[in-house]
Order: sequence, then C-alpha cells, then structure tokens
Amino acid sequence: MAQPVSVDSLLPLPPAGLHEEGVARYEEAFRHHYAEWAAILQRNAERLARGQYSLHWLDTEKARWGRRAKPSSRGLTYGDVNQVPGYGELPALADWKNFAPRGSVREPYRHEMPVVDDYTVVDRGELWAENVLTLYEEAKARQWNATRDIPWSELERLPEDLEKATCQLCTFLTEVEFVAGDFPAKWLYRIPQDFLEVKSFLATQLMDEARHQEVFRKRAIAGGGLLHAAPGFEWALKAILEAPTHTMGTFLLNLLGEGLVLSIFRSGEMIAKTHVDKEIFRRCLQDEARHVSYGVMELKAYLDAHADREQATREMHRFADVGEQVILTAFTEAALVEPVAVLLGGSLEKIDQGMEGMARLWSMFIEEYLARCARAGFERRERCTIPIRAPWATA
Amino acid sequence: MTAASSVAATPAGVAVPFPSLDWFRRLAERMNADRARHEHLGYVDCVAGFCVLDGAPDGGPFTVQVTFEEFAAVDVREASPADAGRADFTLEASLATWRRMIESIAAGGGRPALTQTLNHLSHAGTPIFVRSDDVLRADLYFRYNQSLQEFVNASASFATRFAR
Repeated sequence: MAQPVSVDSLLPLPPAGLHEEGVARYEEAFRHHYAEWAAILQRNAERLARGQYSLHWLDTEKARWGRRAKPSSRGLTYGDVNQVPGYGELPALADWKNFAPRGSVREPYRHEMPVVDDYTVVDRGELWAENVLTLYEEAKARQWNATRDIPWSELERLPEDLEKATCQLCTFLTEVEFVAGDFPAKWLYRIPQDFLEVKSFLATQLMDEARHQEVFRKRAIAGGGLLHAAPGFEWALKAILEAPTHTMGTFLLNLLGEGLVLSIFRSGEMIAKTHVDKEIFRRCLQDEARHVSYGVMELKAYLDAHADREQATREMHRFADVGEQVILTAFTEAALVEPVAVLLGGSLEKIDQGMEGMARLWSMFIEEYLARCARAGFERRERCTIPIRAPWATA
Repeated sequence: MTAASSVAATPAGVAVPFPSLDWFRRLAERMNADRARHEHLGYVDCVAGFCVLDGAPDGGPFTVQVTFEEFAAVDVREASPADAGRADFTLEASLATWRRMIESIAAGGGRPALTQTLNHLSHAGTPIFVRSDDVLRADLYFRYNQSLQEFVNASASFATRFAR
C-alpha cells in the first residue's frame, strides 16, 4: 500500500482565473503575423495623418453594382438576393477562409487577408441541401416562445404515475435535445462564410434546440421535477457529437436521431394528458421536422455530388452500422421506453398495453427512417442494424 | 388560383354541410380573416388533401385539396383520384371519424378533446391515415401541424350539418 499523502507534499493548485498560457499563445500568433497587419495599420495611420481620403471603395468596376435585388411576396429572401447575378453562385470548394462576403470586391485584397484555419468544411457537398433556403425562411417565420406561447397557467395536476411518466419523458428530452444545438455549433464555425445560407439555417436549428431544452425543462419542473438521466442517452449523444464528418453527423443527428425524436414528439402529442403538453409537443414536432428535412436533403446532396458515389455510400454504411447501434442504446433505455409505455397505456397498471402500442409505433418509426434514407438515395433497408420489429413484439 | 375559389357560398348563419367544398371554403375564409394569428404561427406552404372515405353521395371518397401559401388558404377545390399527386399529403378518414373530430372541436369552443387532435388521430395510421407519395412531402404535415390544427379548429366558429 502506498504511503499516506501528507498535505505538505501536495503541489500548489494553479492560480485561478488567470489565462497566461492562452494569452501568451495569442500574443505569439499575432506577433508572428505582425508584418502583415502592422503594414495595413501603418498605411492607414499615414493616410489619416496626411489628411488624405481613399475613395477606392467608390470604384464599382469589379463590383456587381446596380443589379438591385427585388423582394418577392414574402419580403426579401436569400432566394431573391441570390437571383442577382454574382451573388448566388456557391463554390464547389470554398477557398475564401475568412469573412470577406461572397459577391463583394475581395480578390484585390486576398494577399493581405488572414486565413482562418478553423474553416475546414470547404466542400459544398458536405453541407449543402437544396431545401436549405426554404427551411431557413420557414424556421424564422415559425419561431415560438416557450415562455409565452405555451398556456402554462392551464397546466393540470395529473395522477402521480402519469405525472412521473410525463416528467421522466421531459427529463429525457431535456437531456438529449441540445445535442442538436451543440452538434451544429461544433461545425458552424468550421464552415466558411461562402456557405452563409447553411450557416444561417444551422443558427436557427441552434435556437430551436435551445427552446426545446427550455420547454421540456420547464414542463418537468412545473409538473413535479426532473427525474432520471440515463447512460444510454449519453452514449448516443457522444456518438453524434464525435461523428467524423459533418455529413455523417448530420445523418446520425438530423435524419436518424431527430427522425426518431420527431416520432417521440408525435407520440408525446398523442399520449399527452393535458392541453399544455399537447401544445408543447405540437410546437416542437414542427421544428424537428425541419431539421429532419435538412438531414435527408443534405445526405442526398452529399451522395449526388461525390466523385465516387460507391465509395461514399460504403463509408456511410460503415458509419451507420455503428451509429444505428449507439442510437438504439438510447432508444431502448428504461428511462424512455417505460414512461412512454405508461403514458400510452394510460396508467402504471396498464404498462403492458402501453408496450404493445409501443411495438406498433416502433415499426412505424423504423419504416419512416428507412424511407428517409431511401429518399436521400441511401438504401439502408437490407443493412439496417435496428430491428424493424420491436424486440418485445409478439409474433 | 383565384380568391373566389376559397370563398364559401353558404350564407353566414346557415349550417354548412359536411363533407362539402363549402365547408372547407368556410375554414379558408376563417383562416384568411384571422391573418394575424397565422402570421404568428408562421408560413404554411403546402397542398393538403382532406378525404372523407365514404363522403361522396354514392358512398365513395370525397376529397378536397386546400392550397396554403404564406399565411393564407389560397385555393380550395374538390379533387378526383387523378389529382392525388397534386397534394403533398392527404388525410384520409371515414365520415364518422371526421364527424367526431368536428363535434369535439365545436364542443370545446375551438379546442378538440385530447383524443381528437389531428396528430392524435393520425399518428398510428388509424383512424386518420396520412397518404403521400414522398416522405419529404409527408413531413410537411408535421412542419405545419399547428397551423393545420388551427385551420380545422376554426370549424367551431360556424354550425356544421352532417350528411349522416
């Protein structure tokens, strides 16, 4: 057995609240590029000191000046703006790794501009979806407010078994919902500005998920309290967050994960025991369906654009073989299945009846997942590792 | 599409027969009159079919397609089976199912009982079946579910007369 550790032998704790290493790295990085940005500063300082104006920005020779965007019936959308020649062309491979806006006069300044190394998702095929403009406009128009739009004052007290089942379902949803915020957030800053439409849509998904986390947390705490977290949920969330590419993670999150959560929201609306819960689930399922639509069409765009579709499909299958199993780990957790069964059955005593109902819904969920894969051009039916019939379903 | 195609012919105050084109046109009128509410809910862009499986005079299906654009119902028309592909999705149910739902909405003053919402009735595929030839077009039913629910909830604002 090791010698007991004495207090005197402990190393001092690092000083709290100081970030010396980080500041030192930052200083070094910008000193390394000193000649580049300091030359710009010097030039500007001299010009201002001379009292000279530089009106080069009035020169429209290389600009798309004068081709004015016209609003359509619902206002001025990205779609309307992209109709103007020179603004709507997305590169197949983005090579502007900074913030210079697509369609601006930027080429003359390229040699002086910094490169943002974090912009790594430069392939349009890794993020584009043909419905992304529509989904972005729809997402903005269909935002709602979890504080005001839910009739919280009408929340009724339920029998204890149903209240606990509802609060457990809400605990699950509170735990899982914001991965659909963290995942796009992780990739959002890696996407160059030339793909601004996708970045904009992902920002709406972040807001949607913040609202979902908020509304389910509030519902649980208003109804009795949060109940149990579960390790199976956590492994599924980790598998999503750590997906090796944006497309793979989007497949796992938006197409499979959110597709299943969409089904849970629809089930939640169906089995809700109060009008408040109905309203919550109906609002959330609308948001979730947008995310699913992006997931389907992003995967389709990826496979359609890939130079070697066969290879890309093989890789996606390999990824899905693992991803499906990890997602299944979450969707078989007792902290999810059993409370839903209690709500479906109508009481704790009728949990068996609820499980029968769950078995029917299970097959429906998986059929929908496979139909979405097929719609994306990713035929998964023969290889799907999630059983189409629920493990407890009777023959 | 014309504005006239979403206007009901049945005079105000007279019970509107169900199923009928006029009944859905009355819903469209209500939606368009309550634009502020639908602006709050957000865009709804789809063609929704409503099919009463035994609603035709001969006992066959009676289908109406409602075209939603932005915040309005802009077109309401009777559809034949050949028009099915025009709808993004079609909600199919028996007259008895529709009747129970409409009566529940009326009894609740515009809010159906917990077991009579569109999603509740359609989620398991019965008694309302959501038919669509494309999974993405079917997903529009979910994307606009609250708007569609409020569209049918407006039936509480007028009297309905059932064929049977």
